Amino acid sequence: MINDLDSLKSEILKDMDSLSYIEIKQKYLSKTGLLTSMFKGIKDISLEKKLEYGKELNKLKKDLEEKIKEKEIDIKDINLERKIDPTAPFDINTPKDKRPHILDLIGSAHPLMQELEKILDIFQRMGFDILESKQIDDDFHMFESLNFPKGHPARDMYDTFWSDEDFVLPAHTSTMQNRALRRFGPPPIRVVLPGRCFRNEATDASHDHTFYQIEGIYVDEGISMGHMQAVIKEYLEQYLQKDLEIKMQPAYFPFTEPDVELVISCPFCDKVGCSTCGNKGWIELMGCGMIHPNVLTAGGIDPQIYTGFAWGVGLDRLTAIQRGITDIRKLRDGDINFLRQF
Amino acid sequence: MKLPLTSIKQYVKCNLNLESVLNILSTKVGEVEGYTDLSKMYEGIYVAQILSKEEHPNADKLGVYKINIGQPEDIQVVAGDKTLNVGDKVAYIKPGYVVPYTYGTAKSTKIKAVNMRGITSNGMLCSERELNIGPNHTEVLVLDSQARVGMSFAQYYELNDIVIDIENKALTNRGDLFGILGLAREISAAQNIAFVSPSWYRKEVVDIDIKKEKLPITVVNNASNLCPRYMCVSMDNISIIDSPVWLKSLLIKSNIKPINNIVDITNYLSILTGQPLHAFDYDKLVSKDINGKGDAHITVRTAQEGEKIFTLDGNTIQLHANNLVIADSTNPIAIAGVIGGMDTQIDINTKRIIIESANFNRFSIRKTSMELGIFTEAVTRYTKGQHPYFCLPILLQAISLIQEYAKGTVASNIIDIYPEPLLQKSISLSISKLNIHLGTNLGKEEIKKILTNLEYQISGEDVEYLTLLPPIFRTDIYIPEDIYEDIGRIYGYENILPKLPYRELSATKENKEIKLKSRIRSILSNSGCNELDTYSFTSKDGIYSSNQDPNLAYHIKNSLSPDLEFMRTSILLSHLEKAKINILKNISPFCIYEFNIPHQKGYMDNFQLPKEDWHLCLLFCSKENIINGSSFYQVMRYLEKVLHTLGINSLSYDLISDSSELDLPIWIKNIIPSFNSNQAALIKYVKDGKTTILGVIGNIDEKVKNSYKLPVFTGAFEINLDEILPLVSNNSGSLHKSKYPSITQDICFTLLNSTKYIDLKQSVLKVINTKERFGSIECVDIYQKDNNTKNITLRVSVEHNEKTLTDQEFEKIKEKIEEKTKTFK
Repeated sequence: MINDLDSLKSEILKDMDSLSYIEIKQKYLSKTGLLTSMFKGIKDISLEKKLEYGKELNKLKKDLEEKIKEKEIDIKDINLERKIDPTAPFDINTPKDKRPHILDLIGSAHPLMQELEKILDIFQRMGFDILESKQIDDDFHMFESLNFPKGHPARDMYDTFWSDEDFVLPAHTSTMQNRALRRFGPPPIRVVLPGRCFRNEATDASHDHTFYQIEGIYVDEGISMGHMQAVIKEYLEQYLQKDLEIKMQPAYFPFTEPDVELVISCPFCDKVGCSTCGNKGWIELMGCGMIHPNVLTAGGIDPQIYTGFAWGVGLDRLTAIQRGITDIRKLRDGDINFLRQF
Repeated sequence: MKLPLTSIKQYVKCNLNLESVLNILSTKVGEVEGYTDLSKMYEGIYVAQILSKEEHPNADKLGVYKINIGQPEDIQVVAGDKTLNVGDKVAYIKPGYVVPYTYGTAKSTKIKAVNMRGITSNGMLCSERELNIGPNHTEVLVLDSQARVGMSFAQYYELNDIVIDIENKALTNRGDLFGILGLAREISAAQNIAFVSPSWYRKEVVDIDIKKEKLPITVVNNASNLCPRYMCVSMDNISIIDSPVWLKSLLIKSNIKPINNIVDITNYLSILTGQPLHAFDYDKLVSKDINGKGDAHITVRTAQEGEKIFTLDGNTIQLHANNLVIADSTNPIAIAGVIGGMDTQIDINTKRIIIESANFNRFSIRKTSMELGIFTEAVTRYTKGQHPYFCLPILLQAISLIQEYAKGTVASNIIDIYPEPLLQKSISLSISKLNIHLGTNLGKEEIKKILTNLEYQISGEDVEYLTLLPPIFRTDIYIPEDIYEDIGRIYGYENILPKLPYRELSATKENKEIKLKSRIRSILSNSGCNELDTYSFTSKDGIYSSNQDPNLAYHIKNSLSPDLEFMRTSILLSHLEKAKINILKNISPFCIYEFNIPHQKGYMDNFQLPKEDWHLCLLFCSKENIINGSSFYQVMRYLEKVLHTLGINSLSYDLISDSSELDLPIWIKNIIPSFNSNQAALIKYVKDGKTTILGVIGNIDEKVKNSYKLPVFTGAFEINLDEILPLVSNNSGSLHKSKYPSITQDICFTLLNSTKYIDLKQSVLKVINTKERFGSIECVDIYQKDNNTKNITLRVSVEHNEKTLTDQEFEKIKEKIEEKTKTFK
């Protein structure tokens, strides 16, 4: 029994350094704590040893309580109105092994950012500039400059958040098109516009009110829908590391004409049908189209001379598919155990 | 938009199966959401006849019926409706089949043979609602006596069909495709077959001879800017009955409940053409007109603010001044193009009616609908754009159908207020530009064929140009690019060959901010830190708990919930929240970081938009006693690791509680209260006498830690990358290194507690670094003996450029250090 006490003592000694006082209290002195259960064990000890054992135990408890108190004071002291010297490399009276250092933990870059970096890298290799999108914008950039006059019913396609001051939280990265045309013009203009977007819609495993989009625009003389197809296909094949088939299906966006939905052959099942593509063999990936002349004009580009195309692709779903994430809300819930996998 | 397959077959002159229709729609028209095979939905349901009727011995409200479905054996069924008579024809579901109302839903109900209070019921007799064809759910639906016993219900009700559902969003600009005729036209053109609209659809003049006006109507249009065309007519001798089965069936397929012949006819024409119609009860309109003169008077006008109307869906709506209404002499009787009023509703006793066929401004309808929160089929159709041209032919067709199916007779002149007829403008199309735009090589004849199949008129042409008049039903064609789209999709996007564009070999501009973030991301993720991506939204509580100012936060007027009501003023407050969640999960220690943009009211850019700086926030948290002292020093390690790697070295820290900085930017002022001011500092960069404030670092405020239940050892920093960016240097100069050995010695200084480490450090460095020698120091220990003094031990190394230093020389240096640091004691 004394043996048991010895091992307990050495464990306490060890823990005093590594555990906080709250944790020590919990481990030893709580209802189910190690020391508490030793006390409970007294009744099973033979009569002659009981006295000595009890004494030892009481002393141990007293010592522990004192040490905890010291520790408590220690910590309180740090957090009292004590002014530190912020120019020093470490705090006063700290032992060498308890000084600040970079801990050996599992670090991670966010999976969305990893994918974003990959995609931006591809576009840079293809000769595109990058301009990041805004998170609060105005009606002109989000709608008017994109050929959505005030009151236009197509505005309803975008469930947009508005601030009290009538600022708008962009529901698509197209909110940057006008700025990009002006900043990178005159053509040729090749630019990708990544950014955070917001939609006022109910969330579920595949929809969130906050998401990432990457807009791209390409304006030059003689640019066609054939170019649009080829550029997007090139990017997707580089990104997914796979040969793809792509289809264009009619869609409607006020800022492009013609406008299409781009559909790719499912890169996971080669059109056989799998859970990712909902057994369709094809995945609807993005909206794109030839930039509407009104949008070019608003951006200071003469549509009589130049044509161009634009697309907008969501990043969250691509990331979820690529990384086997079944609920996209996991991307933003800040769970470190989840993030440490990436 | 619902499209029944049989309707396509009715209007498109060719043989099409489901697959080819789906393919045409999805590749040339718009996204197909799916389709429903109604024959499956109505499987196991038969026309049955009631042979006998008995009371249920154990239940007052149940009737026991013997029925026959054309088979040798009769079937016993118990029903909750005792009003059925022997000989009635009813719809019967066999055990094992699903109630149509629940078909395809989460609550799909399969009928079983069940014992109902002692008597077995082998199946079910259906109400309208159970059959999903009407609202009545209290009585069993009695079918027409002509219905053939044993016939499948779907066949009898003409519901053996497949209904295709097309995504409305894809058709947002195509009002014409909210009518079955429009979709049929597209499908026809896609197969290179000219579409022939029904003759009534293109009537341009009134061809009805009105002999005597029995029920005259006067109409005043006081809002012609919002109502380009208003037509109506009154009809007499109406007999309200059920619609014929073919009509009901088409409505059911379009998800519209049949009501009575008049309402059904208006709905039918609307789903066929996209042009909404409305029917008023003439007598109610006249009798309820409090200032009326005994005849029907209609005014089209905008509402008065606060004016009320009781609408067909049973709600009392308070109108706004800009809402367009149809009114009698005094009060609104309908919200124009949105919903009718209950006071003039068609009911079983209606004898005389007014049919309205009008065109309203789509923007105005949308605004009214959004403001009042009323979304109807009419709103959907009007807001997509209808051409006023069609008010006339569709009103005439309505009259004709009402004559046929409700025995109505025309009782007034056909009123047509159309002051400025809207004409299509011709568009000149360049064939070469079209081919450049699409990336095709289409010839003129091919283009002409496609366009005429879509009912464009070609009014002129030469080698390069076609002059085109868009079809009258198209309200979306203004510029050549609109026509390119029509040609492109009908020609087939799949026929466009992908081709990469050529470009000059110029280098793209580097985005320095993205590169900076990427570098920092790599440093931190390799230092055990986890990158987060947190919402921009927060709650008022979230801002209060982190001791920041809610008045600086932008408020979202249409937020999803109070938790997401404000735009965050710092990244830190999101991280405090996430730290709490992870601590609760017993994860510790951890270090999280994020790049993002916080917003503060009043912090504006040159365009009067909220200024958007990228911030880096990092938060370290440990429950364990791994590191002693204030958490300030731990987060400083991470900060300096980042900044030193970026070549930013001249940092200084001003303790918040001692700081005398006055002109701090809003974003700094905002985060300071989140920190413990005695253990947190402004991060400053000083070079050439110029100071830049990079951010705030330190131990989190005790109250804030408490409200997030965070451990004592929680520290963080938030810095502004827009300030960091100009300081980044890519060429770190190599340090001078002497070939002679250095002398290293620990020196202990006893100093006043108030002495800053940096002052000691700088004094020492000044002494040991000269032209001839290079010296460096490292802090070995800081020990506070008492309240007045502390000991700092520095490890001092000095090397000479040209010789080996002697001990005597080093002693002299020490003396000099001693002298220079005397003032600190």
